[in-house]
Amino acid sequence: MVRFEGTVLMKPLLKWVAGVLAVLLLAASGVLCYMAGSPKDAYGLVRYALPHMHRGTLKVGSDAPDVRLLALDGTNHFHLRERLSARPLVLVFGSFT
Amino acid sequence: MGDIVQIYNDYKDHADFLTVYVREAHPTDEWQMKSNVKDDVCYAQPKTLEQRVAIAKDFTTRFKFPLPFGVDDMSNAADNVYAAWPERLYVIDQTGHVVYRGGMGPFNYKPVEVREWLAAKYGAVKHEAPAAAASTAPSPTPASRTAPPTASAPAPATPATK
Repeated sequence: MVRFEGTVLMKPLLKWVAGVLAVLLLAASGVLCYMAGSPKDAYGLVRYALPHMHRGTLKVGSDAPDVRLLALDGTNHFHLRERLSARPLVLVFGSFT
Repeated sequence: MGDIVQIYNDYKDHADFLTVYVREAHPTDEWQMKSNVKDDVCYAQPKTLEQRVAIAKDFTTRFKFPLPFGVDDMSNAADNVYAAWPERLYVIDQTGHVVYRGGMGPFNYKPVEVREWLAAKYGAVKHEAPAAAASTAPSPTPASRTAPPTASAPAPATPATK
């Protein structure tokens, strides 16, 4: 009997929890779409940008890692640390898009 | 990009600069932005190093980008160790240590912080206020309120993806 009453009580509770979660999910999606500009951009943000947040271990004081880069001529390579000199080196990372 | 070029012009006698092209932030086959279409900057994500070089060349040619340039390899070695994607700024000192690490772009990409770092070391470079700032100047037209192409176009360090 007790078990029967518990089951009866649990069903509406689960429905409420599911409903609240659905509303919260919908609201969060709406806010994300608004912030990103469109549903497509919201997807892009989650798919491409989020995994890159909080990436990397470098901080001020870290030794700058060396990497091999290709010159714009498409044939010659050079090492980033070869560009270190008696002056500071400003590194600008980016792409065209 | 305009900010970085201005900083380069202001401090190139005191500091070295290197632009590193990393994988595209908003290629046509991934997360393309409307602004890319509007600015006619539509490229698929390069699958080969040659394709990366070609895009980098397009960029430097189109915007007459004066900074020295290098291209990350297809293993994204530079991107991985510098957490560079989509854009990020660093300053490395003479001893090879990071003295400034910028935030992840575009929202935390702040060339002004690099300028401040350089200004603290070598002195500030003042620029005259634009003529439009004068109180007697006519209201700018919508076109003149738009940043010049070199300042607004998607670019290394300023993809302007929003």
